[in-house]
Amino acid sequence: MIFIAVFLLSLSALTFEVLLTRVFSIAQWNHLSFMVISIALFGFAASGTFLNILNTRQKDWSERFATVDWIKAVIILYCVSAIAAFIVLNQIPLDYFRLPLEPVQTLYLLIAYLLLALPFFFTGLIVSVAYAYIPEKTGLVYCASMAGSACGAILPIALLPLFGEGRLIIFTALIPLIIVLWTEPEPAAKHIVTASIFRKKRFVMQASGLGIFLIAGLIVLSAGSLIQVKPSPYKALSQMLQFPDTRITATTAGIRGRIDSVKSPYIRFAPGLSLKYTHTLPGQWVSLKDGDDPFVFYNLLHPAQERFANFTLPYAGYLLAPDPENILLIQHGGGGLSIPCAMAAGAAEITIVQEHPQIARLVRDHYKVSVVNQHPRTFLARSDKHFRIIHVENWGTSLPGSAALAQEYLFTIESFTQYLKHLKEDGILIIARKLLLPPADSIRMWAAAYESLRSIGIEKPAHHIAMLRNWSTFTLIVSVHPLSDNKVLKEFARNRNFDLVHLQGLARSEANRFNIFEEPFHFLEIKRLAEAYRLGTAKDYFKTYPLDVAPQTDNRPFPGRFLKWLQLKALYKITGSRFYSLFMSGEIVVAVVFVEALVVAALLLVLPLTAIGKGSPKPSFANCLYFLAVGAGFMFVELFFIKKYIFIFGDPVVSFTVVLAGVLASSGLGGYWSQRIDPRSLRLTLTALIAVLALVFFGLDLLIQHIIRLSMIMRYLIAILLLVPAGLLAGLPFPLGMRYLLKSPGERAYAWAANGCASVLASIAAAQIALSLGIPTIIACGIAAYMLAFISAKMEP
Amino acid sequence: MKRSFLTVLILTLCPVLLISARPGDTPKYQKARKKMVDYQIRMRGISNQKVLSAMALIPRHLFVPAELINQAYDDHPLPIGQGQTISQPYIVALMTESLQLKGDERVLEIGTGSGYQAAILAKVAKEVYTIEIKEKLFQKADKLLQSMDFNNVQIHNGDGYFGWAEAAPFDCIMITAAVDHIPPPLLKQLKDRGRLILPLGNPFSYQNLSLVTKNKDDYSLRQITGVLFVPMTGRALSPKSLSKTSRKDFP
Repeated sequence: MIFIAVFLLSLSALTFEVLLTRVFSIAQWNHLSFMVISIALFGFAASGTFLNILNTRQKDWSERFATVDWIKAVIILYCVSAIAAFIVLNQIPLDYFRLPLEPVQTLYLLIAYLLLALPFFFTGLIVSVAYAYIPEKTGLVYCASMAGSACGAILPIALLPLFGEGRLIIFTALIPLIIVLWTEPEPAAKHIVTASIFRKKRFVMQASGLGIFLIAGLIVLSAGSLIQVKPSPYKALSQMLQFPDTRITATTAGIRGRIDSVKSPYIRFAPGLSLKYTHTLPGQWVSLKDGDDPFVFYNLLHPAQERFANFTLPYAGYLLAPDPENILLIQHGGGGLSIPCAMAAGAAEITIVQEHPQIARLVRDHYKVSVVNQHPRTFLARSDKHFRIIHVENWGTSLPGSAALAQEYLFTIESFTQYLKHLKEDGILIIARKLLLPPADSIRMWAAAYESLRSIGIEKPAHHIAMLRNWSTFTLIVSVHPLSDNKVLKEFARNRNFDLVHLQGLARSEANRFNIFEEPFHFLEIKRLAEAYRLGTAKDYFKTYPLDVAPQTDNRPFPGRFLKWLQLKALYKITGSRFYSLFMSGEIVVAVVFVEALVVAALLLVLPLTAIGKGSPKPSFANCLYFLAVGAGFMFVELFFIKKYIFIFGDPVVSFTVVLAGVLASSGLGGYWSQRIDPRSLRLTLTALIAVLALVFFGLDLLIQHIIRLSMIMRYLIAILLLVPAGLLAGLPFPLGMRYLLKSPGERAYAWAANGCASVLASIAAAQIALSLGIPTIIACGIAAYMLAFISAKMEP
Repeated sequence: MKRSFLTVLILTLCPVLLISARPGDTPKYQKARKKMVDYQIRMRGISNQKVLSAMALIPRHLFVPAELINQAYDDHPLPIGQGQTISQPYIVALMTESLQLKGDERVLEIGTGSGYQAAILAKVAKEVYTIEIKEKLFQKADKLLQSMDFNNVQIHNGDGYFGWAEAAPFDCIMITAAVDHIPPPLLKQLKDRGRLILPLGNPFSYQNLSLVTKNKDDYSLRQITGVLFVPMTGRALSPKSLSKTSRKDFP
C-alpha cells in the first residue's frame, strides 16, 4: 500500500505544484510563479529534516509510521492542507507592491509560504518514510514517486480546460483520499488490540475521508468566489473591469494561460499613434492572457476605419514597400495593431503567425484571415516562402525588468537572420516595441539587426537599418537592400510629428524635434554603437554601457534582461532610489529567493545535526555531499531540457510539462532498474550519465535545428525520446545511493532533506545561470554536480 | 421620550464622531508636510511659490488610505485602492509647476484618483475640471473635496478619453492615468499654445514627465524629467540631483 500512497501523493502534489504556478501567474506576476518550485521543494526537504530530528528521539519511527493508519492520517492531513492553503492564498490580502510599505504584508507572505509548503511536507513525509522503511526497495519507491509525478505533470493539460484552476486544485487534492476510503486498516496484531478498536479506527478514517469529500464538494458548488482565482488589481483585466458597461464575455482556462475576452466601450489601444490624428478610433474588444497582455481586436467594418493605422509609427515600414503582395505578421504577447496596419496597406495576402492556440482561433474568427498556430521560429524553419513585409509585433514591457526572465526567441541574432532570409529582395522587416529610457531595448534590437545583416554578408549593415520613435514607442525597419529613399521616412516623420533615431545621413537636429528629450539619447547611443561597430570596438561598447544591451543569441534568449549586477547601485539611483522598483525586476526576485532559500536550506540541514546526541553517529560529509550533488545535478538536467525545449515547443509551459513528464517517467524507470544493479555499479552509472550529458551538451543544438522542421507529432515524439537516456540514468544515483551508501533510517531521512535542499538551490541558480552565462552552462553545471557525486561516492569506505 | 432623545442624539453624533476620528491637520502632520516641501520638493529645484504654498497647505494624509497614513509624506507614491496610486509628492509638484500656471487658467485633469492633485491645482489655477472613471474613487474624492470646500473644482464621474466638451477649451490638461496614446479629443480641447502634461512609465518604476504643447497644427512633446542617462561616463542620475551639482562636472 505504501507504493500506492507514494504514487498518488506524488501525482497529486505535482498537479498542485503545476496549478499553483498558474494561480501565481494570474493572481500575481509570471516571474513570481518561480517561488512555487522553491515552496514545493522546501516542503519535501523539511519532511526529511523533521524525520531526522525525530530519529534522535525515537529510533523505531520508520516501522511505526509505515503503518496503514499513519499513512491514512497523513493523507487526510495532505488533503486538508492542500485545500486550505489554496483557499487562504486566494483570500489573503497579499499585495506584492505593498511589501516594502506595509509590514503586515510580510506576515501575509509568510503565512502563504508556510501553508503552501504543508502539502509538500506531508507528501515528503510519506516518501521519506518509504525510503527509510524498505531500504531494499528504494528503487521501487523512487519509481512510484517519479511515475506519480510524471502523471501529475500531464493531468492539468487535459483537465484544466474542463474545470478551471480553482476546481481542479480541489479535485486533484482529493485523489489520494481513495486510499483512505477504499483500503482496510492494517490488521497487524501489535497495533490492533480488539475488534472494536479496529472498527472504530476504520469508521473514523472513512468518516474523515467522506467529510473532506463533502466539504470540498460544497466549496466547489456553493462558494465560487472562494476558489475563483482573481487577477492582481494592477493587471489590465482588473483595471478594465472597474469601467462601467464592461464585462467578461468568455473565459477559457488552459495550461498555457487563462484567456478572458472582454467587451467594453472604454478599450482604446493604439500605441505609436500620431498626435496629428484627430478622428475617433474604431470599436475594439480585447482578450487577455492571465489577466494581462491585452490583445486587441478592432471592428474594421469598412476601409475608412483602417485609416488610423496610417497614423501609427509602425506604418512607416509599410510606406517603403507599397502595394505589398504578401505580408507576414508575427504576433507574440499582447498587441493587435499590426493587423489594421497590414489591412490599411492593402496587402493582397496576409499570413498571421500566432503561437497561442486560443488567440489564434479568435483572430481567425474575427478577421477571417489565414492564421498559423505555430511558434514563429518553427514556422520560419518549415516555410520557404518569401514575404514583402514581415511585421513583428511584440511591444515588450513598460515595467523594466519585469520580463527579465522571459525566454523569447523572437529577437535573437538567429531570429533576425531568419526574418531576413524570408524577405523578398525588396522586402522590409518591421519591429515595433515600447521605448525605454535609459535606452536599452532599442540598442539591443538595432545591434541584433546589425549583426544578423553582417552574418548574411551585408557589407554596410547600418545603411540597411532605420529607426523612428514617438514618445513611448519605437519602430525598427530593416531591409536586405540599402534604405536609400530617405525622403519617404523623413516626410512621414515630419507630417506625423515623429522623430527619427537612425537613418543614413541623419542630422542631430532631425532626431529630437517633436518628441523632445533633454538630449536625443537614443540617436546618440545608436550613433555611438554604429561607430563602435565600424571601428571593431562593439565589445567594449557593450562592456562599458551601464546596462546589458548586447544582442542576444539562441543560447541566451532573454531580450527583456538588462541588469548588470555591478551597476546595481547606479540603477537604483536612476529608478528614483525606490527599492520596490528594483524588486519588480525578475532577476532581483531570483536573487532574493535564492538568498532566502540558502538560509532556509542551511537551517534545514543544520537543525538535525544539532539535535543528534553526542553518542549517536552523524551523517558523513561524503554522503551529504553525494546527495546534495545528486539533487542539484538532477535539477540542472531537468531545467536545461525545459529551457532548451522552449525553442522546440515555443511555449515554456508546454516545455515544462513535456520535460517534467518525460524526465520523471524515465527516471522512474531508472529507479525500477536500480533494483537490479549491484553496489559496484554506482560509479559506473555515474560515468555513463556524465558521458550522456556531455553528448547532450555538444549535440542537442544540432538536433533541435532538425526537430523544429518536423511535424508536431514527430517533434513531441523525438523530444521525449531524447529525454530518455539522460532521464533513465539520472534516475539511478539517488536510489542506488540510498541503498548502498546509507545504513540507517535517520541517514536516509537526512539524505532526503539534503537532496531537496540542493534541488531548490539548483532550480533557482539555474535561472540566473541561464540569464548570465547562457542555457548550455546549466547542463555543464549538471555534469559538474554529477562529477562531484562520483568523487563523493568514491570517498565512502 | 428620554430614550428617543438619546437615540436621536447618538444618531446625530455618530457621523460627527466618525469624521472626527480621521486625524485632522495636527502639528505632527504639519511638521511632516513642511519637511516634505523643504527636502523632497524645494531641494529638488521646484521654485514656483504658488506650487510650494499649495503643497504646504494641502493635508496629503487625508488623501491616502488610513492604513498608509503614516507614510503620507514619504518620498514615494502610495496605493489608494482600485489598482491606482497617489503620485509621489515631488511628481505632483513638478507636474503642477510644469504647467506654468499664472492663476487665471482653466485646467482639465483626467484621472482624479484620490483628488490630491486636483486639490493642489485648485490652489494654483482659477478653475479645475477633473474626471474619474472609477465610481468608487470618484465618490471618495468628491466627498473629500467637498468637505474641504474646494468651490473651484468640478468633478465628474465619466470617461476622460473624450474630455469635458461643455467646458472646453482648456489652457492646460493634465493626464494622471496610464495611456498608450494621447486621446485625440483631448488634443482638440486644448487651446492654441495650450499645454498638456502626462507622466509616462509605470508608477511602480520610474516615470518620465512629458509636456505636449500645441502650436497651431503641430504638436511637440517635451520630456521634462524622469531618468536621465549620461552615456559617456556611464553615470546615471536624476536630472534634479544633477541640477544641484554642475552639469559641467560630467563630460
